[in-house]
Amino acid sequence: MFKLIKEIFRSGEATVKYPFAPLPMEKDLRGKPEHTPEQCIACAACTIACPPNAIGMTTDVEAATRTWSIDYGRCVFCGRCEEVCPTDAIRLSQEFELAVAKREDLVMKAVFRLARCEACDTPFAVAKEVAYVQEVVAASAPTPDEAEQRRRLAATCPACKRAHDVRQPAAFGVARRLEETRR
Amino acid sequence: MNVMTQLPVGATHVAALRAEMPHAVLEERRQTADQITVTVKLESLPEAVAYLYYRRGGWLSVVVGNDERSIDGTFGVYYVLSMEEEDRCYLVVHAKVPEGKEEFPSVTPKVPACVWGEREIRDMYGLVPVGLPDARRLVLPDDWPEGLHPLRKDAMDHRFRPAPTADDETYSFVNDSDRETTVVPLGPLHITSDEPGHFRLFVDGEDIVDADYRMFYVHRGMEKVAETRMGYDEVTFLADRVCGICGYAHSVAYATSVENALGIDVPIRGQAIRAILLEVERLHSHLLNLGLACHFVGFDTGFMQFFRIREKSMMLAEMLTGNRKTYAINLIGGVRRDILGEQSSRTLATVRELRDDVTRLVDMLVSTANVEGRVKGVGILDPQIARDYSPVGPLVRGSGHRRDTRVLHAFQGYRLTGLDINTGDGCDVLSRTLVRVNEVFDSISLIEALLADTPAGPILTEDFTYVPYKFALGFTEAPRGEDIHWSMTGDNQKLHRWRCRASTYANWPVLRYMLRGNTVSDAPLIVASIDPCYSCTDRVTVVDVKKATQKTVPYKEMERYCRDRTASPLK
Ligand code: SF4
Ligand code: SF4
Repeated sequence: MFKLIKEIFRSGEATVKYPFAPLPMEKDLRGKPEHTPEQCIACAACTIACPPNAIGMTTDVEAATRTWSIDYGRCVFCGRCEEVCPTDAIRLSQEFELAVAKREDLVMKAVFRLARCEACDTPFAVAKEVAYVQEVVAASAPTPDEAEQRRRLAATCPACKRAHDVRQPAAFGVARRLEETRR
Repeated sequence: MNVMTQLPVGATHVAALRAEMPHAVLEERRQTADQITVTVKLESLPEAVAYLYYRRGGWLSVVVGNDERSIDGTFGVYYVLSMEEEDRCYLVVHAKVPEGKEEFPSVTPKVPACVWGEREIRDMYGLVPVGLPDARRLVLPDDWPEGLHPLRKDAMDHRFRPAPTADDETYSFVNDSDRETTVVPLGPLHITSDEPGHFRLFVDGEDIVDADYRMFYVHRGMEKVAETRMGYDEVTFLADRVCGICGYAHSVAYATSVENALGIDVPIRGQAIRAILLEVERLHSHLLNLGLACHFVGFDTGFMQFFRIREKSMMLAEMLTGNRKTYAINLIGGVRRDILGEQSSRTLATVRELRDDVTRLVDMLVSTANVEGRVKGVGILDPQIARDYSPVGPLVRGSGHRRDTRVLHAFQGYRLTGLDINTGDGCDVLSRTLVRVNEVFDSISLIEALLADTPAGPILTEDFTYVPYKFALGFTEAPRGEDIHWSMTGDNQKLHRWRCRASTYANWPVLRYMLRGNTVSDAPLIVASIDPCYSCTDRVTVVDVKKATQKTVPYKEMERYCRDRTASPLK
């Protein structure tokens, strides 16, 4: 009994003031993933990596948009999305208080505009993604001409690339480029 | 020179089996240096398993069913034996059950430990264990349609999923007593608890004559989910969620099973980090159980104190992994976070503190009047019953058996350090509690040793190729005992089969024997002493067979009675 009382005095107050005072978190805590649409290029890497399919994408060709969404109700806070994102657009925060009154409030969306194909004018990929790829491929081009060529190639939809490949390989620089890259 | 040392691990067992039963062994395949699968003739299955179990020092780890019709037109049944005396290894006895004649001779009459595994195979695959005395379902609910076996590859197409058919529970509980008894049902559900189970205590006055129980009210179908809609590399995160207390042990067991199947060598540092985190998990789990033990004997101050210091191990996990409970740190091939210098020194400081805290609390616990008297000699697990049913963890160690996967089949970081097995010979609640106390100190020493000695280097390897239809075992020693996973890779980067056996699955079947002969007020204490990932038995049905009455007691009331031992709810 004496030991017990001694222990109780030793340990003092074990509880904290939370929720009336903030709860300090470890700096590497894996909390709520925060998405920054400004930085996101809608490349879909995170949708593939996410084990419970918390992140998804849907395309609306009519409206020429693609919608990225995250469902915090499904998220398991593993941080795989953060690991694969090429632009740092999704990061796990220290936020852990996710309770909401309505289930729908756990879903967050970001809508992106689709770019139209240079050749056939149908929407085919998110404009920001196309721009990002254009930057990357043009940056390594040896000549300005070549850079321009590559930009156009990146802005052409896969269907047109294939069609041009088959029908008029000679008429389009784009298709010739394709052939060359293949070799 | 000793000829024995030149033989590959486990070869002596296979040779002995061939000598004992000529012509029974059809094929022998080696998955890793210490894992062998022998395929035997179907009719020789019971004798082969029984021979290895009782005559070669084998313990049953898990029974696995597998639908291999797409591979060779048969169903596979695998009896995984952990060979623990000489020439230690995992030896798997495999037999093929042909499509069309879907039955196999039951091993249970010879080796009682197989009972749950065979009942589960009958539920999940529709393979009939001929000669199995227990004809009841194990996993499937009472109203599940006949003839629908969920783990068959052609079952559970969402378009043909039938509706449930009945609302009533029709499960029949077994009572072996020859006296008149009263039935005490505990359960079935407590909606706020994580794992419902329904207990029936058959009592004579206040004495438990027999007990039966059923689990699986919330079977989550994880194996099917993993096999149908997750990539093999994502299942580590699902495995983390098998258990709310010792999920990391499952994640490591799963990752190891795939790594073994594909022949992946995890870098040393990755292995050490896994072992460190497994020990962190054991710390929090054992401290939780010690706290609960205090609670059940009515010593709530001790409960509070243990939970106070347990918080330190939770913070440790948060710092090292980014989460208090689901660590999500494993990938196939290693781990995702290194332990850096500052984290390492903070970890060392915390475990040092914990060592002092636990020493003081245990001291306080044993010097508290009544505690020892309340747990000593209660819930006896007879060593022979233990031998027959292959329970695991502190439960079996408390009955004097030297079973600890970390030592007998050293895996991951445990190969890097020495460790002893803690056993007790009281066979009672006290003995199991003391084993846990000692293991807390061992965990602390292990963490210190691994942090001090582990060489720097990579923590993850991506240097491997995925190959379909490879299989192997993965295993860990979770706080409650051996967790064992059997995985077979499939095409599409998905698993063909994932069998995950949690430690408590191996421990339930002996509980019945532990309850017999005790009083009703001890029941919650005994159940808690196997450290089920909490025994969420919310109500108890007590049936007094002499008075032929039945009475349902709310679990809270049972718990109160266990603590106060006054005002019996049965009166
Ligand atoms: S990986 Fe990053 S850039 Fe790509 S869609 Fe996800 S958040 Fe956006
Ligand atoms: S943290 Fe994990 S579960 Fe959550 S969105 Fe990212 S990848 Fe998906």
